[in-house]
Amino acid sequence: MKNLIPKTYAEALEMLNNDNLRILAGGTDLMIQNRSWSNMLPDFKTGTILIFNLEELKYMVQEEHFLHIGSGMTLEDIKDNELTPKLLVDALKIMASPAIRNMATIGGNIGNASPAGDSLPVLYVLNALVVLESVEAMRDVPIHDFIIGPGKKTIKQNEIIKEIKIPTNNLTIVKFDKIGGRKADAISKISFAGAAHVKNNIIQDFRVAFGAVGPTVVRKYDLESHLVGLTLDDVSLNIKEILSEYGKYIRPIDDQRSNKEYRKEVALNLLESFILSL
Amino acid sequence: MKDISKSVRKVDSLIKMSGEAKYVSDIKIDGMLYAKTVRSSKSKAIIKKITLPVIPEGYHIIDHTDIPGKNFVKIIFEDMPVFAEKTVSYYGEPIMLVIGEDKNIITDIISNIEIEYEEVTPLFENTNSAINYHFTKGDSNKAFKNAKKIIKDDYDTGYQEQLYIEPQGMIGYIEGEKVTLIGSIQCPYYVKNAVISILEAEEDQVRVKQAVVGGAFGGKEEFPSLMACQLAVALRKIKKPIKLIYEREEDMEVTTKRHPAWIHMEAAINDKNEIDGLTAKVAIDGGAYIGLSGVVLSRALIASTGAYTIDNIEVGGDVFLTNTVPNGAFRGFGAPQMLFAVEMFIQHIALELELDPLELRLKYLAKQGDATSTRGKFRDPIIMNDMINKGMEMSDYKNKVKKYTEQGIYKGIGMSWFLHGCGFTGSGEANHIKALVKLQKDIDDKVTILIAAVDMGQGVQTTMKKIVAQILDIPLDQVIYNKPDTDLVPDSGPTVASRTIMVVGGLVARATKQLKEKWVDGEAIIVSERYKQPEYIKWDEDNFIGDAYPAYSWGVNIVEVEVSPITYQVSLVGIWSVYDVGKAIDERIIMGQADGGILQGVGYGYLEVMKNVNGKIQHKNVTDYIIPTTGDTAPMETFLMDNPYPLGPYGAKGAGELTLVGGAPAVALAIENAINKKVKSIPVTPEYIMELMKNG
Amino acid sequence: MAKIKFTLNNKVVEIEESPTARLLDILRDKYDFVGVKEGCGEGECGACAVLINDKIVNSCIVPLGTVEGKSIVTIEGFSKTKRHEVLRESFEEEGAVQCGFCTPGMLIASESLLNTNPHPTDEEIKIGLSGNLCRCTGYNMIIKAVKSASKKGDGLW
Ligand SMILES: Cc1cc2nc3c(=O)[nH]c(=O)nc-3n(C[C@H](O)[C@H](O)[C@H](O)COP(=O)(O)OP(=O)(O)OC[C@H]3O[C@@H](n4cnc5c(N)ncnc54)[C@H](O)[C@@H]3O)c2cc1C
Ligand code: FES
Ligand code: FES
Repeated sequence: MKNLIPKTYAEALEMLNNDNLRILAGGTDLMIQNRSWSNMLPDFKTGTILIFNLEELKYMVQEEHFLHIGSGMTLEDIKDNELTPKLLVDALKIMASPAIRNMATIGGNIGNASPAGDSLPVLYVLNALVVLESVEAMRDVPIHDFIIGPGKKTIKQNEIIKEIKIPTNNLTIVKFDKIGGRKADAISKISFAGAAHVKNNIIQDFRVAFGAVGPTVVRKYDLESHLVGLTLDDVSLNIKEILSEYGKYIRPIDDQRSNKEYRKEVALNLLESFILSL
Repeated sequence: MKDISKSVRKVDSLIKMSGEAKYVSDIKIDGMLYAKTVRSSKSKAIIKKITLPVIPEGYHIIDHTDIPGKNFVKIIFEDMPVFAEKTVSYYGEPIMLVIGEDKNIITDIISNIEIEYEEVTPLFENTNSAINYHFTKGDSNKAFKNAKKIIKDDYDTGYQEQLYIEPQGMIGYIEGEKVTLIGSIQCPYYVKNAVISILEAEEDQVRVKQAVVGGAFGGKEEFPSLMACQLAVALRKIKKPIKLIYEREEDMEVTTKRHPAWIHMEAAINDKNEIDGLTAKVAIDGGAYIGLSGVVLSRALIASTGAYTIDNIEVGGDVFLTNTVPNGAFRGFGAPQMLFAVEMFIQHIALELELDPLELRLKYLAKQGDATSTRGKFRDPIIMNDMINKGMEMSDYKNKVKKYTEQGIYKGIGMSWFLHGCGFTGSGEANHIKALVKLQKDIDDKVTILIAAVDMGQGVQTTMKKIVAQILDIPLDQVIYNKPDTDLVPDSGPTVASRTIMVVGGLVARATKQLKEKWVDGEAIIVSERYKQPEYIKWDEDNFIGDAYPAYSWGVNIVEVEVSPITYQVSLVGIWSVYDVGKAIDERIIMGQADGGILQGVGYGYLEVMKNVNGKIQHKNVTDYIIPTTGDTAPMETFLMDNPYPLGPYGAKGAGELTLVGGAPAVALAIENAINKKVKSIPVTPEYIMELMKNG
Repeated sequence: MAKIKFTLNNKVVEIEESPTARLLDILRDKYDFVGVKEGCGEGECGACAVLINDKIVNSCIVPLGTVEGKSIVTIEGFSKTKRHEVLRESFEEEGAVQCGFCTPGMLIASESLLNTNPHPTDEEIKIGLSGNLCRCTGYNMIIKAVKSASKKGDGLW
């Protein structure tokens, strides 16, 4: 079984093109998912390519229309970077633990495509684009098209997530909530990202996304568009209706971490409290 | 003379901080093999056939056919097999070990073992009673017959996992016929006796040594005997050193946990609004084998009136066997379940009768001279009134509880009162353990403490040395206390039941006084002491009559919380405790027990969820089984009130379990105060709080 | 198999191993640094924490291949430093060590925290140690110890 360590990004693309390899970044998901008995090698069913040390994937640059975040950036480095949008910082701060954040990459959080991935609702709300590259081509895929189910994503075998592109925006109000089993180092039972822009009491932009309440992050563009143009008073008056509309799309499950009633109720509570805080 | 409570540096912290301390998984022996357990994948089944792959040279299968003695783990009953034979009774029950040098090959062998089962309908309900206890005090029948009102409530508590950070492990080697086992254990002689029994060996053919123990909390009381028996059988056959270390998931799925309990309480209220009688009916889930469950049940039943005196009571309960992982010892040992029920019930009685809960509780608070739940006597002074006042003052309890009762604040404060019987229940100490301790002075005047007590973090290496050094008035480093090795130390009993300082330490103190009298510089001297039960203590084991414990430690816990009305999550705001442990042998060590114990108790009350579905543990790793982190803990303030116990060393009583048992009711009462709904089940999860706030 | 070269407790070492091997196993088994503990094997408890380029990571989930060219410090290496001495003193004074299984990881976490934030508040200490589980102490004594070390060791970090 090949376990390859490319020296350059170009070499990585070549390797991915030549063999069926699993991309191994920080390993904070993969090393656990494939673990064996202690002192045995993890059991990756295929070969791997270790990209964690590719400096070419560790960058953050702000350009006119987009903020570019290299997929190899660790959660800790992104959290501490001045360019990082506040909403993302708020999410990263309460993700995992320092030791994990020092290894975990943003590419890995997206690549893992877990319904409980905490950066995901934020990236949905920020309209992030996932930039995929192979030896043949480079393409941008909106995050909500990239992730299609738990662990399922539209990426070809020879592609790699090169970076995340976040379009510039004028969202002035942002909120991230993570509901885990405890205060730190917990997997989300529910996560919530909200962002809005309000001018003269009128909603100009409104976006919310929920994590861990369905197979993928829930964001409803049509429901959001109904709110744009309304006054805050209108929205407060109609809050029940808004919640009940969202309620139709929040269909969580029971598992060992929580139950569906709780997840749904709290997701809507978080939405309500976000709307009322505008 | 200096005050013994004044803290000294713990004698084992340096090697723990440098990474030099050797825990069992750190030990390597040349030529060592690894063992892995093959387990049942059914909750209940008959094993029809086992087909093994070709076993390569140097690899071994060890199962029940290799056992020289009788196939059970010696503890109380002959019920739990070391390896399953014809049937399996829970998911994860050990069937055999696969042993060899290369873990890859072992894994390969295991994946090619085929076990054919004939499944039998497993039992998960509480219907198969293995043990039933029942006792009375006064005349509860009459109280209930004359009652103006009868108040009833049901309480239940979940599993709790010890979650020592070091998983279970054992390593063994053989020299001739003699097997030596080194393990992460609490009770070297439990292990030794179990191994003697399984091998039908002679006393001197089995040696058990303690490795540094990375936390235990009861989880390493009886469970390690199973691993030791399996290894010992393998050692006899293979004759090479073998290491058996559990992975975390394995540990969480198959090792003993705190018994889930269901407790039905009834109170007879007379026409003066007094609690005239009380009944408690308890069911605990023992899992597939009885193990220590009977002892756990009896401690629970004896705690049925908590820190209160109720004249007429009737108490009963069962250990039910189910096809689930066997439950066992865990710090508190049945008391945490019962104390939760008692503390909630008395609060609920007050609410029902529209009485001030504090007044009602004070009215029934036990006093010196009162009869205990088993018609024994609280002989020693009880200073709970002072302790309660102190606790209320430290936490501003009275103001807060009133303020927080108002709607819409979502803050709460809860106070629990409790006692913990020190040492073994009943006559265990006198009839079963008969502890023996020795002190050995060498010609260089160094004194070695020879006891089987294990330091698992609770600090006995330090406190025992302090007792000896202080009595002899010699420096601490003139006293030696190595990790127990059954070839060197006598059986001073297991490190359990908050008995170590009070009972073993008491014997060590007596032996030291003896040594002091006989002391001659430069001469080798050995002294010993054996436990004698105080004359006045009488216990009728069959009828639960008399003094269940020689002494009691007492405590007050106060917990303040905030509950989010949006997410129903609980945040701990502050924790205050007042304890009477007689006399602290080392104040900082007791403070450490206090902090760690209460967080474990509070965690049990609101955070730690473990469930089994169809016999399979669902929360089987540290990601899913949530224990508190630094982010969850709260500032803690602890106050110790001296109340020396005449028979303990320097007046010391038990402390290790006391600090856990009141945590759950305190946090549950705090949550109740915050949401103004009755809490009847722990852990009080956000999911449960939501249900209560919406429907309860 | 690949040759991986890195600095281990200030010594340059090279090892030929699979890049997907767990760093924890390499440290414990190949280099005998058994002060690095395995508590869970899934990144959750912090007992296996080591420093990579001065930052805490959980070695049980670090693929060996990612440490090429980096500097790793285990508790054995860290315990020879002045900063460990200061932390050690404070841990002793506060009674922050019970069973000790979490302790190497706690010390590594404290070092990593103080490296980036020499004067943390209680809240920052809690966050810094939030990935290290301790079942014995209830944490407060550890938090106090880190606070006190940060004062006593002023200028060291
Ligand atoms: C203790 C602990 C706590 C955690 N807490 C949280 C938490 O609070 N919130 C949360 O969201 N997650 C959490 N995680 C999960 C994990 O840390 C994150 O998902 C992390 O971002 C994964 O990054 P990684 O680099 O380690 O990914 P890896 O494990 O290396 O890879 C994850 C997946 O992404 C793919 N991948 C990685 N990089 C790329 C790339 N550049 N291109 C294409 N595919 C790629 C891999 O093939 C794999 O499928 C936690 C994990 C642990 C162990
Ligand atoms: S063993 Fe690595 S985090 Fe627990
Ligand atoms: S001291 Fe035992 S786990 Fe921390």
